[in-house]
Amino acid sequence: MKGEPKELRFTVNGKLYELKVRPKALLNDVLRKDLKLTGTKRGCLESTCGVCTVILDGKAVRSCSILALQANSHEVTTIEGLAQGDKLHPIQEAFINHGAIECGFCVPGRVMVAKALLDENPNPTREEIKLAMQGVLCADSGYVKFIEAIEIAAEKMRGGE
Amino acid sequence: MKDFEYFAPKTVEESLSLLSQYKEESKIIAGGQSMLVIMRQGLLAPEYVVDIKGITALDYMTYNEKEGLRIGALTTHRTIEKSPIIQKHFRVLSEMERNLATIQTRNWGTIGGNLCHGDPAGDPAPVLIALDAKLKLKSLSGERIIAMGEFSKDILEVDLEPDEMLIEIQVPTPKPYTGSAHEKLMVLQGDAGIVGAAVSITLKPGDGVCEDARIVISNAASVPLRVREAEKRLIGKVINYQSLAEASEVASAEADAPSDIHASAEYRSEMVKVFVRRASATALERAKIG
Amino acid sequence: MTEKEQKISGGGVIFREEQYLNKYSIIGKPMPRVDAKVKVTGEAKYAADIELPGMLWGKIARSPYPHARILHIDTSKAENLPGVEAVITGKDFGDFRWGWLGTTRDEEPLAVTKVRYMYEGVAAVAAIDEDTAEEACDLIEVEYEPLPGVFDPFEAMKEGAPLVHEDYPGNICSEYHWHFGDVEKAFAESYLVREDTFKTPRMAKGYIEPPAIVAEWPDSGRLTVWAAKGSPYFPYRILAKCFNLPLNRVRIIQPFIGADFGGTKNDMVSCDFAAVLLAKKTGRPVKIVYTQFEELTTCLRRHPFWITIKTGVTRDGRLKAIHTKVVSDGGAYTRMSPLTLYLSGVCTTLPYELPNYKADAYCIFTNNPSSAAMRGHGVYHTRFAADVQMDMIAEELDIDPVEIRLKNAVENPPPGKIYYTINKLTVATCGIKECIEKAAEAINWKERKRKEKIEGSIARGVGIGAGTFLSGARLSGHNACSAIVRVCEDGTVNLLTGASDVGQGSDTVMCAMVAEVLGLEIGDVDIKRVDTAHTPVDPGSYGSRVTVFAGDATKRAAEDTKRQLLEVAAKEFGVAPEEMDIKGKKAFVKADPSKSMPWWSLVRLACYTTPGNVIIGKGVSTKGIGPLSNWKTGVGDVGINYSFTAQVNEVEVDLETGAVKCTDNSIIAHDCGIPLNPMIVEIQVQGGAYCQGIAAALYEEFKMDKGLTLNPNLVDYKRARAYEAPMTKVIHVITDDPFGPFGAKECSEGSCVSAPPAIINAIHDATGIWIKEIPATPEKVWRALKEKEKIR
Repeated sequence: MKGEPKELRFTVNGKLYELKVRPKALLNDVLRKDLKLTGTKRGCLESTCGVCTVILDGKAVRSCSILALQANSHEVTTIEGLAQGDKLHPIQEAFINHGAIECGFCVPGRVMVAKALLDENPNPTREEIKLAMQGVLCADSGYVKFIEAIEIAAEKMRGGE
Repeated sequence: MKDFEYFAPKTVEESLSLLSQYKEESKIIAGGQSMLVIMRQGLLAPEYVVDIKGITALDYMTYNEKEGLRIGALTTHRTIEKSPIIQKHFRVLSEMERNLATIQTRNWGTIGGNLCHGDPAGDPAPVLIALDAKLKLKSLSGERIIAMGEFSKDILEVDLEPDEMLIEIQVPTPKPYTGSAHEKLMVLQGDAGIVGAAVSITLKPGDGVCEDARIVISNAASVPLRVREAEKRLIGKVINYQSLAEASEVASAEADAPSDIHASAEYRSEMVKVFVRRASATALERAKIG
Repeated sequence: MTEKEQKISGGGVIFREEQYLNKYSIIGKPMPRVDAKVKVTGEAKYAADIELPGMLWGKIARSPYPHARILHIDTSKAENLPGVEAVITGKDFGDFRWGWLGTTRDEEPLAVTKVRYMYEGVAAVAAIDEDTAEEACDLIEVEYEPLPGVFDPFEAMKEGAPLVHEDYPGNICSEYHWHFGDVEKAFAESYLVREDTFKTPRMAKGYIEPPAIVAEWPDSGRLTVWAAKGSPYFPYRILAKCFNLPLNRVRIIQPFIGADFGGTKNDMVSCDFAAVLLAKKTGRPVKIVYTQFEELTTCLRRHPFWITIKTGVTRDGRLKAIHTKVVSDGGAYTRMSPLTLYLSGVCTTLPYELPNYKADAYCIFTNNPSSAAMRGHGVYHTRFAADVQMDMIAEELDIDPVEIRLKNAVENPPPGKIYYTINKLTVATCGIKECIEKAAEAINWKERKRKEKIEGSIARGVGIGAGTFLSGARLSGHNACSAIVRVCEDGTVNLLTGASDVGQGSDTVMCAMVAEVLGLEIGDVDIKRVDTAHTPVDPGSYGSRVTVFAGDATKRAAEDTKRQLLEVAAKEFGVAPEEMDIKGKKAFVKADPSKSMPWWSLVRLACYTTPGNVIIGKGVSTKGIGPLSNWKTGVGDVGINYSFTAQVNEVEVDLETGAVKCTDNSIIAHDCGIPLNPMIVEIQVQGGAYCQGIAAALYEEFKMDKGLTLNPNLVDYKRARAYEAPMTKVIHVITDDPFGPFGAKECSEGSCVSAPPAIINAIHDATGIWIKEIPATPEKVWRALKEKEKIR
């Protein structure tokens, strides 16, 4: 039947969720409305701004451009899943300490892209960082401090201090 | 977005059954990176959506010298971009993918989805045409193989029957002394090109005469455009700067590029020249190396 | 930033002046923002994240015509759609109209008799979910009588052109004619006079968070709204008027906000009114979140300006006179166009000395979506024209662009002295000379001519732009601003101010000021999000006024608090309060610091000495009050002080395609008095230069066709992105302004002004072409190159 809710069973931030969703529901909707994980933002809904980015099976993807049901049996990580209690992820710390955050709206999506990048490539060149950042728009920062902060986080994650 | 009925088949056979059953009322969704946008805009409202993203059997890449490269339709752009096989033997594909949209899109979007969407500004189609690729299409009634160059029919229209699915992209092993390149005019990194050119040049070993040239232009027509007159200016010659310039002039005239909000016809035509020349020059350099 | 960080980062900063880094304990030091953690963990809630029980979703139904009479609306089909709870139209708001100024109330919440721009809202629906609301909007049947429209200001000004508003003849929204000195005489005496016309693009505001609102109005006559607003105080006043509510029952709560940049979120949009009325009608909370399409087609844009500038100079390049004629497209409604127009002229007399100045300015109504304020408001258009033309003049006279600027630059007045421009702007500090010198030195300006410019098909060039921006805009309306500091009995501090942190970092700066004055750590001070039920009224986050006005109020409130506490401490030590101070969380006698008590002891003492004393400090800033500048004559100060910026950029131009790229050779020297938090100043300067400045110079422009936006998405409307971003280095120039709190001036808009001319001048240096209509798209550059026969 059209629109009949179907079962969605997937892991978000390490926790297993089982719920019924309408087929047309986007992953972005389900995360924000059903799971109340509003850290992932809703921006353009047209695959252009990137603030909706989450990590799915280790890859950064736009949650506005994925049907929720496509996440069935997959592992999703959102911004809420990064910090461990009070201990922030090095990328989060670097963003804070390097003064890279302004209005913050693009930050969750950007952190997820950065995390996926550094998990895959612990020693990216500046160009690789810029290429990764291309998918998340910022209207205020000029991107400089974001790029520098990711370099700082990468060095820390590689064991430098 | 309108409601629809949703299926998530796990095998190709299951999908083909569904397509055969619902035909025009159904639409396949793979990565959905192009499709969801137009569904949200209300431009596309299928009654039945067949989600094939979960068919892992279509996510593969194999290569051997004899059969060439076989890419499953559900291989993501990112996989192609990063593949060591591709970077070694079909470098132009990796380069093209690196410039395609952004990482998030490439992580989830598939090559098959991109080709079936049929965007004349798309990058994979012209490159695959230049590489003389073929597509394997399948329905319940059987399989057929068509040349990549025959696939696009019009803007957002491809040669795919309502009950058919794209299964595989087949790229032949390039002959020795073949070089390929892809260049496009981007305002921002990852943009669809105002124009783009994909070129493959094969030289005869020994005298370096051009044995084959395939030049394909994107975003200058309703489909990726093969400019055969331009190719003729290169084939049979030892290519020099003069012949490159001549070929690009002919390509531009052949393309008869239109205007849109991003470029006037005059500018676009001029850019066809520039990018055919640039891509051909790079392809030629690579061909010489062998 | 640690030394290590500086090494790794490749140096986003060149120069942080040591003496100011250490003059204060907290002010002047780079410090993480107080709200950074909640933003980076996803905890921070923005308007669209708010959810209430029983909440409905709203949508606006919009006109498909840019200019039409509304003959009839039939909402019955929409009302009968299952899941729809309420439908409203413009008539439901009575004859309420609102406007940014009291005299320009020309806009209705939803159009009643006429629509004046494409997609103007005519009705709204509240339903159980978004898709149902959208479907219902499609079922609303509206009968229109399309009217001829005007879409170009020059056409709109002509005799017989269709009128957007019947009571504005000639479609003139606003006009000014100023004259200082005698420009004709000065031109006659000039060695060189040139006139050039420039154009700036119609731009999107650019914030990534679309307008969003959640309204709740159960039954008790109290309205509560969470909205993405640059200041809650505009909607609070306007909604009170619209719905006949007393101000004390209109509660606007400001969640975190995804940037503002001066328009739309600092003003009203249809969804604000609609959400409130739908909430009233249904008795349930209603949420409306705009789509990107609505944002890009209906929300306020930066005015496109046509600027004709005529300048006369002496033989050695000194300015004698400037005459500007500007025309801007105000779109369908007045909004704040009169202010934009005024600002487009007021700062033409800075940053260079100018003895004669004439300005003729027009803002014209058209049937395009309305234009309004945006970061770099008004000033950037004319300063762009003037600063590019200055390079043109320099070339004609064979003077170096840096030299000609230094020759004309206003000198930094010695302490206690003021420089007055001919239109009576009061400038106590002006670091422009130092900015220009330092920026030029940092990029190795002298080597510029000697380097090989062309490599293959790439030409390289370096350009300079210099600008100014007002700080602490003083405008009509309620300009006073206040703050409250409350000390809790355990010594922690609450700060309440109505100033909105829209991402520019004001919350951090306000907390830093309180901590500095009270001798605490910044972590001891907590600031609340603005909430009109609790925070004092504030004019709003625009006009670069928050640090200057709210900062002043905050500083006073902290000082008042300190006074109250020192009175108690003084009694304990048997001295006069003036003989004591608080630093490093200790109150001590200045003459004998061993006589001290820890902060927390003092607080306990103060709170508990007489049974229950409450320490609350109040501060009011009246900086904004006082004789306002006269927009008709152009005389008078628009700001409290003025920031100055010099910027140098290197570009690479592809001579075959016309594509322009910025290289990492990008330096901005910014005089903001004293950087209260250098880290915040840097990102503001970098961001303003790139996301608003270079974006206008190279990428952004709405393309219109008879009122229809042709590129209403972020693929076809090009935004400045990360890959193309130059890794700009910032130089802090210190001038310590006497009129700003702790010596501060603004730091968020100056670089929006300096960036565009720097890029256009760099393109000229690389290729010899002048792009006078920005953005300098590849095709525009290519055409100019063709004309100049530089095409290979």
